[in-house]
Amino acid sequence: MTAVVNLRFIARQMTGAKRQCTVFVLCVALSMITLVSLGSFRESVERSLLRDAQSLHAADIIVKSHSPFPAALEKELTLLTARGELKSARFWEFYSVLQKPAGDASLLCNLKVVEPGYPFYGKVVLASGRPLSEVLLPGSLIVEKVLMDRLKIKVGDRLRVGNATLTVRDLLLQEPDRPVNFFALGPRALIPAADLAALGLIGKGSRIDYVTLVKVNDPRKLEQTAGRLRATAGESRVRVETYRNSSSSVKRFFDNLLFFLNLSGIFTLLLSGFGIQSTLFALLKEQERTIAVMKALGARSRFIIGHFLAVTLVLGLIGTGVGLAGSFALQGFLPRLFSGLIPAQVTLQVSAVAVAQGGLIGLLVVLLFTALPLYRLKEVKPRAIFGKEETGSIWNRSTWVIAGVGALFFLTMVLIRLRDLKTGLYFMLALVLLILVSCLLAWFTLRSLRKHEPRNLPLRQAFKGLFRPHNATLSIIVTLSAALAVIFAITLVEKNLDASFVDSFPPGAPNVFFIDIQPGQKDAFARLLGPGAGYYPIVRATVNAVNQEPIDPEKERQSRGDNLGREFNLTYRGYLLPDERIISGTTLFRKEWSQLQVSVLDTVLKMHKMKVGDTITFKVQGIPLTARISSVRTRTSGGFTPYFYFVFPDQVLAAAPHTIFAAARVEKERIGALQSQVVTLFPNVSVIDLTETVTVFGRIMGRLSSIVRFFTSFSIAAGVLIVVSSVFATRYARIQEAVYFTMLGARRRFVFAVFAAEHLLLGLISGTIALFISQVASAIICKKGLDMSYEPYLGESLLLVLLTTLLVVLVGVIVSIPVLRQKPVAFLREQADE
Amino acid sequence: MTILQTLGVTKSYRIGNREIKVLDDISLEVKKGEFLVVKGESGSGKSTLLTILSGLDRPDQGRVLIEARDITDLNEDALAPLRNATFGFVFQSFHLVPSLTALENVMFPAELKGDADARAKAGSLLERVGLSGRMSSFPHQLSGGEKQRCAICRALINDPRIIFADEPTGNLDSVNGAAILQLLLELQRERGTTLLLVTHSPDIARSADRVVTLRDGRVVTDDSRG
Repeated sequence: MTAVVNLRFIARQMTGAKRQCTVFVLCVALSMITLVSLGSFRESVERSLLRDAQSLHAADIIVKSHSPFPAALEKELTLLTARGELKSARFWEFYSVLQKPAGDASLLCNLKVVEPGYPFYGKVVLASGRPLSEVLLPGSLIVEKVLMDRLKIKVGDRLRVGNATLTVRDLLLQEPDRPVNFFALGPRALIPAADLAALGLIGKGSRIDYVTLVKVNDPRKLEQTAGRLRATAGESRVRVETYRNSSSSVKRFFDNLLFFLNLSGIFTLLLSGFGIQSTLFALLKEQERTIAVMKALGARSRFIIGHFLAVTLVLGLIGTGVGLAGSFALQGFLPRLFSGLIPAQVTLQVSAVAVAQGGLIGLLVVLLFTALPLYRLKEVKPRAIFGKEETGSIWNRSTWVIAGVGALFFLTMVLIRLRDLKTGLYFMLALVLLILVSCLLAWFTLRSLRKHEPRNLPLRQAFKGLFRPHNATLSIIVTLSAALAVIFAITLVEKNLDASFVDSFPPGAPNVFFIDIQPGQKDAFARLLGPGAGYYPIVRATVNAVNQEPIDPEKERQSRGDNLGREFNLTYRGYLLPDERIISGTTLFRKEWSQLQVSVLDTVLKMHKMKVGDTITFKVQGIPLTARISSVRTRTSGGFTPYFYFVFPDQVLAAAPHTIFAAARVEKERIGALQSQVVTLFPNVSVIDLTETVTVFGRIMGRLSSIVRFFTSFSIAAGVLIVVSSVFATRYARIQEAVYFTMLGARRRFVFAVFAAEHLLLGLISGTIALFISQVASAIICKKGLDMSYEPYLGESLLLVLLTTLLVVLVGVIVSIPVLRQKPVAFLREQADE
Repeated sequence: MTILQTLGVTKSYRIGNREIKVLDDISLEVKKGEFLVVKGESGSGKSTLLTILSGLDRPDQGRVLIEARDITDLNEDALAPLRNATFGFVFQSFHLVPSLTALENVMFPAELKGDADARAKAGSLLERVGLSGRMSSFPHQLSGGEKQRCAICRALINDPRIIFADEPTGNLDSVNGAAILQLLLELQRERGTTLLLVTHSPDIARSADRVVTLRDGRVVTDDSRG
């Protein structure tokens, strides 16, 4: 009997409050969609691209360097190969310009010159379906479709590569160790190692990645072999990694992307949770008399809470189902969203693990956010039947405990999903700060508005409505403004990034870079380019110590941003560039110092603490070089002009092996022809057309922006649901007001105007607070975090505020329509009955 | 002069699949300045009659005329000016707007009308009923008697020709109830307003010029005391 009564009670609660239940279900569905979509995406990417680490690296051990391996290492590899302990295959990866033999078209390409044996794991997929070893014979070339389209060639045509002319034998569809190629400045071309010498492209100081792939014959000896190679590599910057611990750039990219999307997902989850809580508060408020009657008849709080808990769990289950259906539907759209970023063979599908995780987290979120409204049922007294009951303040010890548990839960979830303690704590701190600041600003705004009495009657009534008894105005504004602040900030930072990287070509700035010019070619090159080009000597080196404290390259590489673990381009000159100025120290170099000096760019200070007077030890071509920091420079422009982290005086590095980097401003129409001339006369020189690069980069940024905006739109949806639930929360009061106004002679349009004005105020206040917070946050992120100038984009910002205000008004008015239709007599009769 | 007239008014309500006839062929005439009490037991249809006479509800059959104007089929917007300027309402549950102070509640109908003197008129009325010290209080800060006095002032601010009062003392104790009734009658006589009051109390009925008794939706007695 009890079970039947319970089920009937649950069903009636739901059918009697369809609107609130719908909002509750949608909030749960939204959180499910976010969790399941992101979780499934991660699973799909990991399964298709990253789980098979051996294929991803095409080997068991990967040995790589930016310079030729030390002789000892080469000897060790030869020895181990001779002993049958391993097999190895080398490849060289670098950029060069490929040109049609007639010289009428050329293109910067990403070349990979491979020895037979590559790849040890995974498969190179060619359009012909034939194995690589059959096709990639001496004198041949395998290229990507993009290259064929750009140069308008087909299989069988010939291309000049350096000093050699090779024949295109096949079309490259897929490489196992490079599943995505959006990092590249040019399309891929595979060349057999037999043709390496003929290319003539490898000179001293050339920018080349030297890689040796190793397959161990006994998998049990994997770590032992890697350790041996590592020991032989010694202090050189040769990296020896196994497939287990190597971090692929592809994996790093997806880790970073998912990291950010997870942050956005957690934020959506939080907002959905507030929506759930707000809706449940509204639903239970309407049931207050019923609950009071039940208590008057002897029902215990536990009994009542149990019933309503069952209602929330049923609604949660329905929401989970809806969310799951939504996630499946979304899978049809996600491939389009991620196209260009993930290879076509990756199938995005809903993952069972993600569904299970999503279900569990979703359930915990429902329980967490419904805990407070359900707990408050304890405080409903039987005398509430008479409507005289005023519930006490919401903030008592139990509330704080529930809020504390909630914060702990979110922190735990953040840490688990982000897998980064420091970032997780910063994120939570930022969230708390965001809510606190929104709260303060909202409180001050409402306080100053309270005294305000507009002359216009509907507007005045709207102002009064904000402060009606038991209003939720403050919490609505805080929630809305916090959500909007995040969305506005993302938009502003994105716009500033776009401006900084894509639009920042100051007039007259160089738009073509030339890399790997040999010193002996400089004069001839200068004659070809003509006056106006800038020439910068480049010496490749690594940073080995700061103030005698050694740098651990592996540890450095683990940090998210730029770090001291990589190779750097040193240069030497005695002057500042036009867009540089000194921010620490008096001059670029100090005449009174006798020791070796170096000037550093302020960006380096973010990688490692250092100041003027400190020492840095470099390794240049294997030779240690310690220099004292004489000055710190900063750039005054953020555009694509050449800049160098480390600048030495002229006399220090002039004798070191170096190449020359040139930058010139060339009319767009001339770039193609110039590139062809350069590659004919100087085949070892790579030509980078910056406008082309920026276009490619812009396309990738655009794609990433779409993805970010798509997932943050869930936050907007959560915000809309919060507005809807807030209207429901104050539904009774609104009906009451609408009836009274009508009874006293107000026309329907007056009542409509009051409600619309109230939502206009809510939207404007929330939007303005959000704008203020987002402007401050974006400025800090751009200036301090991304080290670039900040533009407030006031016009666009005001448009954002206007659009969100309109959205809030629209949602509020649509949801209020049933209230407007309420006939006075029905309400008055209900009141009389009570 | 007849200010209010009903012709064969019938009203039923559907509850589930049952139809309940609340008013059955009521024909009534009310004179200008008359104090009429509609009396009856609970369920007699007296409150329903009031809502129909005041345009808050529509009859299923019959007509309702206000100053010879048929208001039966007027829509909500057309009824608005009547509710604002011709009628005044006083309810058992007071029905004050919770977000407005006592002064603002009283002012509201006059502001809707566009009366520039709304504040002064409201203040004067509240003073008249002894609420000068409570003008800035919100309804939840007022006692029952104070709320009803405020509601009466609101009903009178636009000098309505008819006041509809539905059990105005129903939520008050006997002392307050008597005081409210006294006040209502004083103001009604001062202004010559027609007062239609619904009650089940025979004591209140004794003060009326005319008492119409309803039973089961029909007029059983219509006694003039004038």
